[in-house]
Amino acid sequence: MPLPLYYYLSITAVNILMSWALYLPYRVGHLHFITVANMAISGYTAGFLVLNLHVPFGWALLCGFLLGGLIGFVVSLFIGDAPTFAVVIVGFTFIFISRTIIENLSIIGGTMGMFGLPNIGGSPSAHRWIVLAILYAFVLAAGFLIYRFDHSCLGRAASAVFVDPDLAASLGVNRKKLGMLVQTVSCTIAGGCGVLYGFIYKSFHLDFFTFALVGIFMTVIFVGGYTTQWGTVVAAPILYGVPLLLPPVVQSWRIVLYGAALILVLVLKPEGFMTPRFVRSVETFLSGSRRRRNTSLKEVS
Amino acid sequence: MQVLIAQIINGLSLGSIYVLLVTGFNILLLVAMIIHFTYPQVVVFSMYITWVVLELTGNSVPLGIAAGVASAVVLNLVSAPLFQKVMTKRGEVDINSTMVLSMGIGMIITDVLSHTFNKGLPIAFPEALAGGAPLIQAGLISVSTGQVWSLGVGIVAVSGFFLLLYRTRPGRAFRAIAEDPNGARLVGIPILRTGLASYAFSGILGGVIAILLAMVLGSASPGLGEQVAHKVLAVSIIAGLGNLAGGLVVGLLLGVLEAIVQGYISGTWSNAIAFLVMLVVILVRPKGLFGTKL
Amino acid sequence: MKRVLSALFLAAFATALGFGQAKVVATEWQIPFLNCLTGAIANIGEYLEWGAERAAFEINQAGGIAGKPVKVVGVDTALDPQKGSVEMARLVKDSLVALGPVPEPVIMAAMPIAVENGMMSITATTSLEYAQKFFPWTVSWFPPTEERLGMLVAAWGKQFPDMKNIVQFVEPYGPWPGMADAHAKGLEGAGKRMLPKVEVPTDAVTFGPLAVKALNQKPDGIVFVCNAEKVGKLIKELKNRGWKRMDHLLVFSSADAPELYATGGADVNGVEIYNYIDPNLNTPRWNAFKDAYAKDHAGNLPPSLSTNYYDAVYMVKQAIEATGVTGDPAKLMDERKKIADYLANVKSFHGIMFNWDMKDGIPTNKPTFIFKIQDAKKIMVLEVKP
Repeated sequence: MPLPLYYYLSITAVNILMSWALYLPYRVGHLHFITVANMAISGYTAGFLVLNLHVPFGWALLCGFLLGGLIGFVVSLFIGDAPTFAVVIVGFTFIFISRTIIENLSIIGGTMGMFGLPNIGGSPSAHRWIVLAILYAFVLAAGFLIYRFDHSCLGRAASAVFVDPDLAASLGVNRKKLGMLVQTVSCTIAGGCGVLYGFIYKSFHLDFFTFALVGIFMTVIFVGGYTTQWGTVVAAPILYGVPLLLPPVVQSWRIVLYGAALILVLVLKPEGFMTPRFVRSVETFLSGSRRRRNTSLKEVS
Repeated sequence: MQVLIAQIINGLSLGSIYVLLVTGFNILLLVAMIIHFTYPQVVVFSMYITWVVLELTGNSVPLGIAAGVASAVVLNLVSAPLFQKVMTKRGEVDINSTMVLSMGIGMIITDVLSHTFNKGLPIAFPEALAGGAPLIQAGLISVSTGQVWSLGVGIVAVSGFFLLLYRTRPGRAFRAIAEDPNGARLVGIPILRTGLASYAFSGILGGVIAILLAMVLGSASPGLGEQVAHKVLAVSIIAGLGNLAGGLVVGLLLGVLEAIVQGYISGTWSNAIAFLVMLVVILVRPKGLFGTKL
Repeated sequence: MKRVLSALFLAAFATALGFGQAKVVATEWQIPFLNCLTGAIANIGEYLEWGAERAAFEINQAGGIAGKPVKVVGVDTALDPQKGSVEMARLVKDSLVALGPVPEPVIMAAMPIAVENGMMSITATTSLEYAQKFFPWTVSWFPPTEERLGMLVAAWGKQFPDMKNIVQFVEPYGPWPGMADAHAKGLEGAGKRMLPKVEVPTDAVTFGPLAVKALNQKPDGIVFVCNAEKVGKLIKELKNRGWKRMDHLLVFSSADAPELYATGGADVNGVEIYNYIDPNLNTPRWNAFKDAYAKDHAGNLPPSLSTNYYDAVYMVKQAIEATGVTGDPAKLMDERKKIADYLANVKSFHGIMFNWDMKDGIPTNKPTFIFKIQDAKKIMVLEVKP
């Protein structure tokens, strides 16, 4: 596989997963920026386990997931049903605290960063295939779970909370438990992503996990569409890939183009490109074409 | 004792920056229901325009100030229709869409500043605006003209805008349009003229803030807005969204807290500790210390 | 039909990504430069690129490299590790050698790719502690931090016997805390007492609290290990609180940038600064460089880092000509190794400022200088040789 394609696919997978990690809490109206801090905390922890304690990668990845989930769960005990603004502050706080702790801990590299993470599978080529396989298995698993969530009574409850929290509560939706669920799952996803992100680069640096990442994931969600998980799947590869193909002169204005795209989408299509209606029409079209194919097969036979 | 006094003065100076930015942020919230997350970037843009005019006119301060204020007004009026378009629920603050839209605006402003003005290098304001020697200097205590102006104007601005919005007809009209445009129209408030006036007012405030920041800081860089944006949002939330007096108190307190932490504990922990304190406050009082005013 | 179209689209996209960058073209040498041309430090990227392109211009004027012209191809990483890694992945397919990446987060993300593919990428703006993680596929532009900086800062301290207690302002970025530690060791070795350092937050907007904290410790001297803009502002705050002995302030080399003079203005006059280049050198080559820079930059003097990639391009030229590299794509891996082996131990390389040797990728005899700043110019105070 060409190397650029590997980096493109792997980073796209991370962007999809992290955007989903923001999408889930946003289903109940929470902007849960703590996920970026989770990436850093789980990532560095896994890196430390592998480099310093020679723990196998699989166990380190599992630790990353568990640590992310644990942090998400503990924090959600306090902010499961908090107003959006409180959740935003929590996110900022964790990002600042995690950065400060990491830069002061020389055992994990401090401000220099963590170098020389080993290849999984023994060779660079095997490493790439394994990381890619894990990432896309993760995408499929997370995508499936989110799909089931969206199409379940929990998903409908989340939609109700998003539209009118008080009405949802009066209809019997337990906002706290629902908030705790989505936040914990979101942080678990972020924890795993953080580990894999570092193993894509085989290093960790503080500046891998900045507020700029929040901006990227928010752009993916809002341009792609925040009312359905498919918006992220469409927007992440396009927003990351298209600028790579632009001529250098245009590339240098990439950020301006991103900002303009964000504004245009918000003004012209506030829900983003992919809306539930669009998704339903695609589903209808596909099921219609399946029926037509089945009908024509029956006619032939 | 001298150290403590010096740090408190430093903290008030830093706090006055937050107060000015939070006041502008809250004004936009009150008159237009907009969470302009990147309002500090808009202010920094005005600082740059001021600097350009100062460079072109041989440091003519009146022209520089006029240019800074005018650019803030123009930027506000240009972005107004965009915000109006994305706000799905009038009468309530749509944090998500306005915040994301303002992020888009902020991205454009920061990138344009890094690309075009002064080749992306920081800009320094002349002594005619930024001031030379400190007004008061005694040992470790130093107070500049800019610091006095920014604190003074911050307090006056908060009081003035509070009176304007809550004690005058035009102010009530601004708030009426923000909360319920149809109702405002029904009672005879001219929507377009009043709406434009409210944006222009907040733009004027933005321009004045830009000048005051130039006086306090003496310089600016493309990333300056981003550096303070999180804290401005946090102060506004902790104080209570739209609460002008709350923003004044919390802004100053945050500045003092940061100065004390930097002075007595550690510079690198100042953000983490400040946000931790804010986190505790918001968990105990989710609507903010002084309550929202929306 | 839809599946076929989708597959074709994916293939085209993959092809574009895989072959997006320029190949080694038979008629010219292309040297890609992974640089931060947009983003927060785009102004630094601009003069780094200028230096590299200036070298290419001069080389082409003199007949090119082994008779073929050379072109520096700027590749923007935008300070973004995500972008940097994809761009490096593209380069390693065809490029003989590369420059950069800049800065450290992108180095961390992208250099492992260069190492894995056996391609030299010269990181000429980072410390040895970063560069050596990627040996032999890069060289270090700077000698070992502790050894060199300790000696240098001790020499500064010895100028002032009255200077007993020293405090440092340290920003937690990359190798800077390590450099501050090296300063501390050197100054302690020179009999000075190091006071607790003052940490400078990366997003600090005002610097009064930090200045008060430092001055409260009653230092006789201060060393600055933070970015140029912050140094200028800190010096202003110190002066506002009565600091008078400007030569008892030392700025480290990474802050020797236009931002220092932009924010510090006349307040930095008299401050001492150390660096690896001497802007007062009077040679035709350096004078031509200075004049060309001033012409393109409104009369300004070249920043200290502007010569790094200038020299790097000349180093590549020397390596190609000395090893007989042809640029033949069929011999890419071998020729990359030849260049890497040559550069790791190049002898008496003629840099724009001075000649130096490399031993196993580490420069062994680069001089360092201490200057006094006066009206945005640097006046030599001391030359400190290893």
